[in-house]
Amino acid sequence: MIDFVASWLAATLAYAVPYALAALGLIICERAGVLSLTAEGFMLVGALAGVGAVLALRAPPLAALAVGMAAAALVAVLFALLVVVLRLNQVVAGLAMVFFCQGLTSLVGTAFGWTSKAIGGLTRLPLGPLADLPLLGRALFNQDILVYLTLPIFAAIAWLLTRSMTGLRLRAVGESPEAADAAGVNVTAYRFVAVLAGSALIGLAGAYISVGSAKIWIQDMTSGRGWIAIALVIFARWRPWRALAGAILFGCIESLVPRVAAAGIQAPRYVMLMLPYVVTLGVMVWMAVARTGRPGDEPAALGQPHVREERR
Amino acid sequence: MARLVLDIRREASAPFHAALTAASVFAGLAISAAILIAAGVPPAALADEFVVATLFDAQSLHAVLFQAAPLIMVGAGAAIAFRARFWNLGLEGQMIWGAIAATAVSLFEIGPPMLRLPLMFLAAIVAGMAWIALPLLLKQRLAVNEIVSTLLLNYVALNVLLHLLYGAWADPKDSFPHSPLYRGFERLPELPGGISSALVLALAAVAALAWLTLASRFGFHLRFVQAGPAVARSLGVPVLGVTVAATLLSGSLAASAGFVIVAAQEGRLTQSFFTGYGVSGVLIAFLARNNPAAAAIVALLVAILFAAGQNLQVFYQIPFAMVQLIQAIVVIAAAAADFFLRHRVRWVKGIG
Amino acid sequence: MTPPRLALSDICKRFDGFPALDGAGLSVEAGEVHALLGENGAGKSSLMNIAAGLYTPDSGHMALDGVTAALRGPADARARGIGMVHQHFRLVRPFTVAENLVLALGGKAAMRGALALAADRLGFALDPDRRVDSLSVAEQQQVEIVKAMAGGARLLILDEPTAVLTDAEAERLLSTVRGIAATGTAVVLVTHKLPDVRRFADKVTILRAGRTVGIVDPRATSDDDLTRLTVGERAALPPREAGTPGRRRLELIGLRCLRPDGRPAVDGADLHVGAGEIYGLAGVSGNGQSELAEAIAGVRRPAAGVIQFEDAGADVTALTPGARRRLGLACIPADRYAHALAGDLSIAENFAVGRIDRGDYGPWGWVDRAAIRRATAKAIAEHDVQGVRSLGQKAALLSGGNAQKAVIAREFAGNQTIILAHSPSRGLDLKATAAVHARLTEARAAGAAVLLISEDLDEVLSLADRIGVMSRGRIVAEFACPADRQAIGRAMVGHG
Repeated sequence: MIDFVASWLAATLAYAVPYALAALGLIICERAGVLSLTAEGFMLVGALAGVGAVLALRAPPLAALAVGMAAAALVAVLFALLVVVLRLNQVVAGLAMVFFCQGLTSLVGTAFGWTSKAIGGLTRLPLGPLADLPLLGRALFNQDILVYLTLPIFAAIAWLLTRSMTGLRLRAVGESPEAADAAGVNVTAYRFVAVLAGSALIGLAGAYISVGSAKIWIQDMTSGRGWIAIALVIFARWRPWRALAGAILFGCIESLVPRVAAAGIQAPRYVMLMLPYVVTLGVMVWMAVARTGRPGDEPAALGQPHVREERR
Repeated sequence: MARLVLDIRREASAPFHAALTAASVFAGLAISAAILIAAGVPPAALADEFVVATLFDAQSLHAVLFQAAPLIMVGAGAAIAFRARFWNLGLEGQMIWGAIAATAVSLFEIGPPMLRLPLMFLAAIVAGMAWIALPLLLKQRLAVNEIVSTLLLNYVALNVLLHLLYGAWADPKDSFPHSPLYRGFERLPELPGGISSALVLALAAVAALAWLTLASRFGFHLRFVQAGPAVARSLGVPVLGVTVAATLLSGSLAASAGFVIVAAQEGRLTQSFFTGYGVSGVLIAFLARNNPAAAAIVALLVAILFAAGQNLQVFYQIPFAMVQLIQAIVVIAAAAADFFLRHRVRWVKGIG
Repeated sequence: MTPPRLALSDICKRFDGFPALDGAGLSVEAGEVHALLGENGAGKSSLMNIAAGLYTPDSGHMALDGVTAALRGPADARARGIGMVHQHFRLVRPFTVAENLVLALGGKAAMRGALALAADRLGFALDPDRRVDSLSVAEQQQVEIVKAMAGGARLLILDEPTAVLTDAEAERLLSTVRGIAATGTAVVLVTHKLPDVRRFADKVTILRAGRTVGIVDPRATSDDDLTRLTVGERAALPPREAGTPGRRRLELIGLRCLRPDGRPAVDGADLHVGAGEIYGLAGVSGNGQSELAEAIAGVRRPAAGVIQFEDAGADVTALTPGARRRLGLACIPADRYAHALAGDLSIAENFAVGRIDRGDYGPWGWVDRAAIRRATAKAIAEHDVQGVRSLGQKAALLSGGNAQKAVIAREFAGNQTIILAHSPSRGLDLKATAAVHARLTEARAAGAAVLLISEDLDEVLSLADRIGVMSRGRIVAEFACPADRQAIGRAMVGHG
């Protein structure tokens, strides 16, 4: 039993990281008022680009993660052009981008022969004697570098959003672009950069799935994690630390699935695989019930394009 | 100081609208063609693969029409939900449940052989409605975002399907993950003249939907719901009823698409019969501007694309994912064109 | 002679092809309060948005202290000492006062300076840690003024500052504004209230249809002359006619409606309207009138209380808007595009939606489009709806007055017995207003019960048979007409 729990906890953080980073990226976009349904697609782009960098450029794993980020940010330029500059419907553009990324990644993955090729990937980095602590050692101090980095990344972004002038302007753009505009904030520039930065984090989340955990590229390998991240942002009420807590919860559930079978417990495999989606749905319902009648937390201008010379 | 100014365009003329759509679709196809050429398809062969080999060859044309039936159904299904402001991205989940329900009727031999096929169809419709009812209820009662909930439910439906196909419903004759073949009378027949009854079913559904949305009082009210539920409610439009009906209809159409694929094309429940239809359904509805009749035409074009995609795969080793990429590029181009529909860009002289 | 602080001339600006400004000009001296007068839609806000750098004019000339100025945007305008308080405040509602000031002024030091200025020079007591959405409208306006004044504004533009204030608050604000001007700042006061102009402005510029039509000294010009310049013809309210009230048709008993934060918006309102009667509901905006109107229309569920339609013998509190319409209710809401017209749909569809349920346009399965077009064409001709190029044209393209006429054409098509009219002449010119008033008195003559909710006391006084005053969600006083204007005014602010 102890072994089961130890192995479960040891895997939890690695499963939590993609959710955490993707949700953080989404929070950056959405706090600036851009509804980003693109997460599933940009995670795929990051995942493929990471593996591609390893296979084609012989990049070390950390550099591969950076390539994943850059690739997602590059594709996000197209999305930002559509919704920030051309001010298209953000739902339509977001969905179209997901479909685009799904098609693009499976095309490129197949065309370059990167599909189903195992790679080295990130290695574990035990933190000296801490890693030998019972239970917690494996769970917290024997992880790969990105797991350790996630905390400082969250701290930095949370500080940026809530304490810095840049964050104040960014949130103003998401709450009231008119007020931000009147205050001399360049709404278009802020939204554009927020989309790029957020998408880079989403790409990092995707690259971590392929380069960090799975160490392989398979078509559509994110299997809905992007959508779960979107639900996670709603659950977190657009706050970074709540998103991190939610991500760890989801990591717990997802890491449980393979371990139940390995432990010899009789549970139908596909019913177990359903679990993350059912739990996500359950969390969304629970949030909705718990917060009925209260004012929403979402940025007031979320999903609304800003046109200054609109006559009202 | 001269400057570029962006205005909100309040009304665009119909010819401008049509020309813009045509130009954007053409631009999307041109970009796609460039990608194909870059991938090694000789430019001269493009026309052959997309037009000659799909339309001017009797067998290929037959395949295209066969392929078109489920696409028409998912496209029309997406369109009717979008008209009711319900983002149904659960088309694949509803297809899966439609196919599962139809297969259940076959597996458990419910009803006499004469009625078996209609019963399978009915079961599919009911299952599709039931599967969309949950996100609909969650949206109406608790304001749970239906984009996310319908997408998550797709993964649930997929795992239910795999659970059945790798378990109780696996064909005992072999070890592949598919159900036993349907009996002859459980399959949608080919009508005299080589026309698939699936296509007839799809066209009948589109005709009914066109009447419902364009000619009936329901459609009149639906237009108000689409324009804005709050105003519609103030004006006495039965918003809830219209929304629920349109959404259930959407689920049943998607489920019907699942039914016709398993009952006409595959002849059994398989593990990937639905792949790509969800995306296509959404894109068809978008390009058809949610008009059911236009959706049928766009679906036919997408069917040609599917057929051409299969040819490209065979002859030029272009992955089939290219089909989805082309669709996405065309839709992005068409969406980008909306910018000019909604805005007017002009130079002004400014202070001088 | 020193050049004016701000000089705008020959300004033109078009929106989607429609001219909003067509040769407008304004010249403001340092240290003066300059009123910009005009009707709704005359272009006052557009002209001021150009002065504040938000809009780029199509053509024209602008100079600050005699130097040509081409503003690159709102930030550039503020750097040149131009501050503007918009009618719809440019505040981030979930932010605190301090955060809003930091955002607008660019730093904490500037924010502290602004708060000191607010306290010392303007006499505003602002709590920097309170969230803006918890402040009263007057306090929010003070934050906006502080934002505009901080950093030494040399030109302060106030767009309809008194529209949302009680009389006492408006008085206080305008005194503050005079004080600001006394220190050498030029002030532009955009308004359509003549008394404010006569008491507080040194000079007045009048805009009509996007053009400057007069620059006068308000103290040397009569109200009649100002009005004539503003609207182009003499304003005359029709003489009041008395109705002959019959039995009760609409009755509200103990109606309560809650705001999203749980505070009551309507707090136990009782009133009744008889057949052949116009009941005028007066009050300062924001005292629960909107919520009361929405509850009667059926788009807002009351927390408690009863709404009765007496003719139908029905408690309609739980009925849908559609059911209430079938029982004889007609609604002319304050916000046409939120409650009365689907702007994206055609004029014909917007007309037909009123009676399609009764089978006027064919059976359920077949909507008779030709019948709809015939009926719509007839109705828009009867109600003199102008600017209809085709019946398939989007309703959003109608001007305010014609959109209102289109709403009335639909709502009065079925001889409705209860009429709810909320600010029915808001944003309309005189001719359109007169037409709307005529329709209401005709309906009264035909025996309908009319509930007229309006913030325009003159409108209420000229039409109503009885007047109720709404304050803080209650009907605090009722007057039989003809009523004493001063007494009604006291009741309106007495509880405010």
